Amino acid sequence: MFNFFKNSEKESLDKILAKSADFKCLEYYNNKSNISFTLKFLATLVDEKTIQDSVLPYLLEGNFKQIEDVKQIVPLPDIKLSEDISQIEDMIFNGSVLLTVNGKDNKFCFLGAKKEIGRNISLPEVEFSVIGPKESFVESLDQNLNLIRKRIPVKELVIEKKTVGTLSKTKVAILYIDGITNTENVNTVRQRIEGIEFDEITDSSYIVQIISDNQNSPFPQLLDTERPDRISAILAEGKVAIFVDGSPHALIGPTTLVEFFSSFEDYYLNWILSSFFRLIRLFAVVFSILVTPVYVATLSYHYELIPQDLMSTLVASRRAIPFPPILEALFLELTIELLREAGARLPTKVGQTIGIVGGIVIGTASVEAGLTSNILLIFIALAALASFTTPVYRIGNTIRLLRFPFLLFAEVWGLLGIIVCFCFLLTHLIRLTSLGRPYLEPLYPPRMQDLKDAFIRLSFDKQRKRPFLLNTKEPYRFPKKAKKEKKDIEDE
Amino acid sequence: MRRTLKLIASVFLASILNGCVQKEVLDDITLIEGIGFDYIDSKNILGTIVIPVYLPKQAPKNITFSAKAEIKKSMLQDIQRQTADPLVTGSLAVVLFSKTLTEKVGILPLVDPFQRDPGVGSGLYLAVVDGETKELLGGNYGIRGNATYISNLMNHNIKNEDLPQTNLQWFLADFYQEGKTPFIPQIKQIGKDKLKITGISLLKYGKMVDFIEAEDMFFFKLLVDKYSEGLHRVKIESGEAAVRSIRSSHNFELTKRNPMEITIHIKVDGIINEFTGQELTPKNIQELKQQFSKDIQKESLKLVQRFIGKQIDPIGIGHYVKTQTRNFDFNNWRENQYKDIVVKIKPDVKISESGVIE
Repeated sequence: MFNFFKNSEKESLDKILAKSADFKCLEYYNNKSNISFTLKFLATLVDEKTIQDSVLPYLLEGNFKQIEDVKQIVPLPDIKLSEDISQIEDMIFNGSVLLTVNGKDNKFCFLGAKKEIGRNISLPEVEFSVIGPKESFVESLDQNLNLIRKRIPVKELVIEKKTVGTLSKTKVAILYIDGITNTENVNTVRQRIEGIEFDEITDSSYIVQIISDNQNSPFPQLLDTERPDRISAILAEGKVAIFVDGSPHALIGPTTLVEFFSSFEDYYLNWILSSFFRLIRLFAVVFSILVTPVYVATLSYHYELIPQDLMSTLVASRRAIPFPPILEALFLELTIELLREAGARLPTKVGQTIGIVGGIVIGTASVEAGLTSNILLIFIALAALASFTTPVYRIGNTIRLLRFPFLLFAEVWGLLGIIVCFCFLLTHLIRLTSLGRPYLEPLYPPRMQDLKDAFIRLSFDKQRKRPFLLNTKEPYRFPKKAKKEKKDIEDE
Repeated sequence: MRRTLKLIASVFLASILNGCVQKEVLDDITLIEGIGFDYIDSKNILGTIVIPVYLPKQAPKNITFSAKAEIKKSMLQDIQRQTADPLVTGSLAVVLFSKTLTEKVGILPLVDPFQRDPGVGSGLYLAVVDGETKELLGGNYGIRGNATYISNLMNHNIKNEDLPQTNLQWFLADFYQEGKTPFIPQIKQIGKDKLKITGISLLKYGKMVDFIEAEDMFFFKLLVDKYSEGLHRVKIESGEAAVRSIRSSHNFELTKRNPMEITIHIKVDGIINEFTGQELTPKNIQELKQQFSKDIQKESLKLVQRFIGKQIDPIGIGHYVKTQTRNFDFNNWRENQYKDIVVKIKPDVKISESGVIE
């Protein structure tokens, strides 16, 4: 590994650690067995109560003659004897207490007394659903893995651990179900995670960006979720999940574009309802991207397309406005974006106020001042509303961005420009892959059988086959139902 | 890197093409919604355009501009000098011709530019005006502007009443179809804010040669259009009934060749809207049916005979015979065969409903 600290080899570990105020090196003496020993640990990482209650009394009063005795006398589950000096640094930074018997420095013992500071499992905030479980991941990796283990209690669920980041030493877990998930996908993930070269990995978002197939794409190529139910469902489908310590969002791959528009609540509703809601959501996305560009294109180039009855409303609302449609639209779009940014950056309570002030006051004022037409204001507000219906927050941001190139193309070439821009977008999407699998599947390449859970979701008895995209080892989710045979009259 | 550069370069180059598309921002153009042509003398016409001025929360104001000219385009150029914004024809809804003009000059040279203008829709309505178009367009009808009012008037009469399907597309199709005479409706101003469809003008080579009164329009529509919907009053001994046709179709059949004999089957599904007699018995309904058939036969035949006498063919008999005849000769048809053709009408009337309360 790339050695970050040039002088760390020159100085001994103790000396470097001694610079920090939280490093403690305490010497003790056991009267019974006449032995003196030292405890070294970082007070910020170690639960001192454990040392006080479960370590020191036994070491001081117990029958402690040599280092090997520790396992018998100290009632801690995580005790490790070692002679390997290179481990010391790692273990101390993982919250272990280093125990050495004075005079015998080559043998030592690690006592696990990690301090756990973290929040409790709370309601999912980003992907809230009315129906279904209400737990969401937290920052602690172990706690998150516990949630998954509970949902898939089989031995085939494999949890591989890796450490990435030269400074952060972030623990990353790769989850898959052995015997279902295609090993190729697991290998890709493993290889890419091992190949990460970055100093500080603070969140799973870093990993998404670093290991995506195309880093210059505005589209997220791994799905992220905070719902344990979603993770367990996709594991059963044959996908790979990636957990990162310190991040409440787990990653899912390989994924497709359509998956970003499926809310996990879709699986909790009847298939007819959920299919309908999915279609509405997709419509909302298209509407949100296209409505302002089409407005600009029609008003600047294709007045013939406007129905006679709408003409009077449109023209009357635009009559007094001094700007061409494009400036009007950009002005309003930017206002909405500013509002969104302001709302997202400010504390919740102030954020709400900003929303009201911005939405009502600026909107009404700009219409009354004759800067924008109220029809466009309605369109933009609807488009903003529609972009909020995306169940995955990440893709919502992409949609926000996509509107602007479409707007510019609409201004330059009218409806033709919108088509041109759409062609660019389509080319990009067709080329895009997620962990080497096509991103636009099942549209392109067309896979009829994967349409059962894409734009609509068919009932569970139609979901026997795992997605074709994943090429799973075990293609069926449940055995085929025996066909009901009519009893022959003679049998009765 | 090279790829990115290429991409950026192509986007920039593409944006140069911006100038190739003509921009017509909605509020910087003058939308012509209706045009009218009046007769001045054998070479000159008076063109009038009506443009709506949209006002917030009010009915649009109709403004008319007129100019004297030889053909339509130069007329528009003349009017161009009177308006603040460039004139565009994209939302043109109606084109009107005065009766005098249609009779003396013909409308063909005036319709021609509209079929060449890509901005003009083929759903454009053409109509003859009994009187001056300038006067008619100067009125104030409805709340949506004059041209919209006229086009809505025609639209609903085509859909629900006895005006046969007509617009620029149908006119041109009939015109270019040998063996068929085009027709367009005729309207008349009957007050400062009222209009009326008075009948149908038949145009031979663009000139008006015949006129079908409003009373005959029901039978005319049966002959030329499918799905005729219209009302006809049928009289029998016990009273008078209003029969509304809800569905109709007509079929031609070439029954004999020398001399030519054509049978036109007319199927009508009707319902009885009102009856003035005492009671509507099944016997009465039967009588009504027979009387209705008789009326259709008599009136339609009268119309057809009149067309043959005037050497016009709005029903398209010539076109039909052509489809049934090898090496069809239109000259011979026009000069000899059409005069002597025998036409038979065979109506098939069904009364499917006579009211809910019996």
